Amino acid sequence: MSLRIPSNPEPTDFLYPFIDSGPVEADRLMADLAASATAKMAQSAKLRRDTVRLLSEHVEIVARAVAVRVRTGGHVFTMGNGGSSTDADAFADLLSAPPWGKPIPAHSLVADRAVLSALANDVGYDLVFSRQVIAYAKASDVLVGFSTSGNSPNLMRAFAEAKRRDVLTVGLAGYRGGDMAGSPDVDHCLLVSSDSVHRVQEVQAAVGLELWRRLQGELGGVAHSTSSTGAK
Amino acid sequence: MAPRWPAHARHVAVEFVHPVIVGKRALPAVAVEGPDLLGQLRLFCRSGDVLVALARADEPAVASAMRRAGAWGIATVWIGLGPRPPAGAADHVLWCGDGEDGAVHGGRFVLLYHLLWELAQVCFEHPGLVKAEEQGQAARQGQSCTTCADEGRLAEVVELVDGKAARVRTPVGVEEVDITLVAGARAGDLVLVHAGAALSMVEAEGGAVP
Repeated sequence: MSLRIPSNPEPTDFLYPFIDSGPVEADRLMADLAASATAKMAQSAKLRRDTVRLLSEHVEIVARAVAVRVRTGGHVFTMGNGGSSTDADAFADLLSAPPWGKPIPAHSLVADRAVLSALANDVGYDLVFSRQVIAYAKASDVLVGFSTSGNSPNLMRAFAEAKRRDVLTVGLAGYRGGDMAGSPDVDHCLLVSSDSVHRVQEVQAAVGLELWRRLQGELGGVAHSTSSTGAK
Repeated sequence: MAPRWPAHARHVAVEFVHPVIVGKRALPAVAVEGPDLLGQLRLFCRSGDVLVALARADEPAVASAMRRAGAWGIATVWIGLGPRPPAGAADHVLWCGDGEDGAVHGGRFVLLYHLLWELAQVCFEHPGLVKAEEQGQAARQGQSCTTCADEGRLAEVVELVDGKAARVRTPVGVEEVDITLVAGARAGDLVLVHAGAALSMVEAEGGAVP
């Protein structure tokens, strides 16, 4: 959510190029929209599969590094803005209250609105995560940041603060990775190469899920027999 | 609402309130959260609203809210996984075949509400798309009793006036009806109202069906 696509003179044209090609009947348009939605679902599924495969080795490395921290009492902190804040919430929930396997102590830095609004009001929004890193993080901990652009200043400030404290830093970014890609403050940047905010968020969820599964593998978490149907 | 996965409810809300594409219409969407979801919804929703729920079919608060949609006058979209809810449980049912891992945590739910947002925006810009549906609704609303011209309407009891009357909520507002045929009706119960009287109990508050 952190990156805004520039305004388009015909807002939906680039989403549905066929829509303004000429006057069409509603039924025909509905059929075209349905076909387009189906195509996007297939595109999202393919991007999820391809990205998880492409990042497989890197995700394994990150899982091992996170497992080392967790075994020595480390906690996982997550962060993000807008839609990515909900991805940060969801990832922290997945770790700490998993559908199967071992719970891992995790906390989303957007979860407490008193802390968030106090920091935003008093010291500025760019510092809302870094101040919490100062307050909470120890050397054995992990900080995971979700951004579609990879540029969010408050995430980058928090990564820098975390790095100074020997916290393991993991960034999930989209597009070309933005500031996260190549930043010395980000130990691991997991990149979803897409120019669509929506596709990036969908695939980041899949990458987060894969990371969590590998982490469970490292920690000896056993898949519940009903995990494929998702009983919780 | 997403009782078990509240982050999804927040994601849906922010999607509509603050679109990722500049120039798209911002729409009033809120994530309903807290210990009493049904109570919050009952209090907050207005006739004409749309409820988007992300939940399994057996989630009590969601199932209960869906059954009250007709009395509250809201449209419903139910996104879920696992065994499907009964036919007609919501206006629109979007169901995932995946297990919880993939649907809830692996991006499938996110994809579904991203498309929902995107297609809703398309409909705003092409109002011709929604006209057919409106005409269909008008035709359905024209069906009424041949004797008294009133309809059988779903209503939710707001409060009892006395042993014989209650104030009930329907999509058009709150009205007083006779309840002598549904003795023992209480606030929150769903009743069928016709010609100024509650004819039968549809569901008691808490889910019990008589």
